[in-house]
Amino acid sequence: MKITTIARNTFKEAKRDRVLYLLFFFAAGCLLFSRFLALLTVGDRVKIIKDVGLASISIFGMLMAILMGTGLVYKEIDKKTIFTLLAKPIHRVEFLMGKFLGLVLTIFIMTVLMAVIFLLILFLHTFTIEWSILIAILYIFFELCLMTAVALLFSTFTTPILASLYSLGFYLIGHLSWSLEMLIKKVKSGTGRAILRVFYTVLPDLENFNFKTEVVHNLPIPTKLLGISFLYGVVYTAFILLLAMVIFRRRDFI
Amino acid sequence: MGKALELEKVYKSYKLGFIPKKKQVLKGVSFYVNEGEIFGYLGPNGAGKTTTIKCILNLIFPDAGRITIFGEDSLKPKARQRVGFLPENPYFYDYLTGREFLAFYADLLGIHGRVKEEKIRYLLKLVGMERAADLQLRKYSRGMLQRIGLAQALLNDPVLVVLDEPMGGLDPIGRKEFRDIIVNLKKEGKTVFLSSHILQDIEMICDRVAIILAGEIINQGYLGDLISEKVLYTEITIAGIPAAEFNHLGESVSTSGDRVLLKVYEERNIDQVINLVQQKKGKIVSLVPRTETLEDIFVNMVKNQ
Amino acid sequence: MVGKRAVEERSSGEKLLHRQRNLLVLFLIVSLLLFSWLKIQTDKVARKKVPGSSIIYLPSGKYLKYVTFGYSSLAADIIYLWAIQYYGSYDIPDRFKYLEHIFSIIAELDPKYTDPYEVGALIAVYDAHDPELAYKILDMGLQKNPEMWIFPFQAGHIAQMQKDFERAREYYRQAMEIPGAPPIVKRLYANAAYKTMDYQEAWAMWKEVYETAKEDWVKEIAYNHLYRVKSTVDTEALNEAVKKFKERYGRLPADLKALVRVGLIREVPKDLDGKDYVYDPKTGEVKPARVWWKR
Repeated sequence: MKITTIARNTFKEAKRDRVLYLLFFFAAGCLLFSRFLALLTVGDRVKIIKDVGLASISIFGMLMAILMGTGLVYKEIDKKTIFTLLAKPIHRVEFLMGKFLGLVLTIFIMTVLMAVIFLLILFLHTFTIEWSILIAILYIFFELCLMTAVALLFSTFTTPILASLYSLGFYLIGHLSWSLEMLIKKVKSGTGRAILRVFYTVLPDLENFNFKTEVVHNLPIPTKLLGISFLYGVVYTAFILLLAMVIFRRRDFI
Repeated sequence: MGKALELEKVYKSYKLGFIPKKKQVLKGVSFYVNEGEIFGYLGPNGAGKTTTIKCILNLIFPDAGRITIFGEDSLKPKARQRVGFLPENPYFYDYLTGREFLAFYADLLGIHGRVKEEKIRYLLKLVGMERAADLQLRKYSRGMLQRIGLAQALLNDPVLVVLDEPMGGLDPIGRKEFRDIIVNLKKEGKTVFLSSHILQDIEMICDRVAIILAGEIINQGYLGDLISEKVLYTEITIAGIPAAEFNHLGESVSTSGDRVLLKVYEERNIDQVINLVQQKKGKIVSLVPRTETLEDIFVNMVKNQ
Repeated sequence: MVGKRAVEERSSGEKLLHRQRNLLVLFLIVSLLLFSWLKIQTDKVARKKVPGSSIIYLPSGKYLKYVTFGYSSLAADIIYLWAIQYYGSYDIPDRFKYLEHIFSIIAELDPKYTDPYEVGALIAVYDAHDPELAYKILDMGLQKNPEMWIFPFQAGHIAQMQKDFERAREYYRQAMEIPGAPPIVKRLYANAAYKTMDYQEAWAMWKEVYETAKEDWVKEIAYNHLYRVKSTVDTEALNEAVKKFKERYGRLPADLKALVRVGLIREVPKDLDGKDYVYDPKTGEVKPARVWWKR
């Protein structure tokens, strides 16, 4: 299938990106560092390891998704490798989907690698593996898939640097949804409030994928939330990809 | 015989610059390519050749007009099923080897297994890249990239081959080889559409041409119809006789040693020159009639616009 | 020339593209509505909040200062804004666990930012019911901003509310000594002194207020307070004398002059207005002629 061919090729290409390995190196560094940080705290050492570990996977994963997503498509357009590709009997959306899947595969592998290191460090400390941690990492991965789609979206119409900034902006907005919620509570009801409500609902809420707190403090994760969050991630990612397709299909490659 | 490619009144404009200014690149381009012929698309740089090709291949969307490939609307992917394309200054995934590169495109075209292997082998031989097949593309020279690019364009056994400036950057041997391959394609029944600004190549292999200038087609037709067989002048190189003797017969272009290069415009003067040389006991080194070339037509047309 | 052509003129390829585009837009709208609905659903699911969990590893202000790269006062603003929202939300029951930590961070990042000290103290007193913390915060504020009389002033108020008059007096004294403190601080100090039963100090202070008062109403207040001090001192002394009389003679004196006759007091004092104190021979109680603030 054409999409899988492009996906495989994208994965091959992404593997060669040095930035990926640099970020992985830093992530591994942070994970190991958490081990040493744990020695400094008094009391519950594992908490620090869990906190730093999950945060590292989340942040470095996000950077990987953004930097790779914005770089790859732009490189193809800039280097004109895309001409021979799109001149073939292939739909542009197939090309985009192939690129997306290839990137997701790469991110998946990087997440697994980081997770393995993390779980290893954790295991050496506690001699157990908690399910909740795996769930937290899984949902970090879902968040990263959405970020990949976002990076791809912005790379279809702007340069890598701007696309990276926009993607970062999206990430920040996604994690500040709660502040908008607080703001809405303070505003008197009326058109202003209604408009804010619309923004609040439509703008991304990436905290839905954030189970770090529950995991670190051993709080229960409501299963209903797991299900809804997953669907939210899938639908929002689809929305972003559709947006990218609409923009990409009519783009002139001068 | 049908039309392999037809363009009807194709318009395209861009908005360029920080304060978008509309630039009209194609102004109602219309021409057609017959099945089985080699068609040359010429024009100076910036005339709109590459834009036209990108419109044909759905890389750019025209503002107005219609493009059909073997009767199929070019906007549908189906139209490109049997089309092969070699872009100008091709660049490919440089970490792949030549073989892997062809394999990737074969997969994309749905060519698998045995058929794929044989095709790749055949094409590598055709473009003369057998030995370099397992080298990474990043190590290829410009000429090598053009060749492997041509191989990629022929993967799906296309009935229409579109080549954008295919001989650019090739040495004379390379150009000859390419010309031979293209002529062979025609023998196999394929239609070739090539754009170039190197007129000698076009003259040598094309059946029909279209000339585009500033976004408009200013002439199109059979090469034979455009170029007359008329002799413009005759160049005669004479040895042993001073140039002054021929002043009334022709224009002396250059003198080196005891040789004189003479341009004779009137046909009757040619005999007179020959007689004079025999009289004065000189020697005729060469006698070359110069006919109108594509370059002459081209330059004239451009000048007239 | 060139323009959008009529729909009928469009090629089959263009029609296909249009159909595809419309389909995509349809999916786009559907997915938008779907995720919006899902978002509303996620809000309905309650998630347990751990108090201060997001700032549990907020390092001490000293280190934070370096990390914020010279934007420390901006960081202070942001953290302060966040703190106000955080402490304003009533659904986190143990949110005061890190109150001191947070406000000391803000103080460290931007010691001259005065609002957080005041507000932090208020939160400590009214919400967290921890006046000691309030004192701590205000002390910190004063230490970093010695010209701010408002801090010990506020602390004095808090102490007064807690009926800790010694402390209140100390704070008012501190406030009083800072140049720029308004006259009322002196009065509050004097009052606190009275409350701590340091009548001498109170008398001296109120006298000073009386003498330096520029407005009449302030003079009046001072006078009233002086009246109160004197009457308290006097009535206490008189009551003490009556008690001794009873001890000695086994009965209550008939009037206050009796106390002079037996030598328990030198003379019967009069109140500040020059009026006599009221003595009730049946109960032995001495009272001032009128309530001190009703004059």
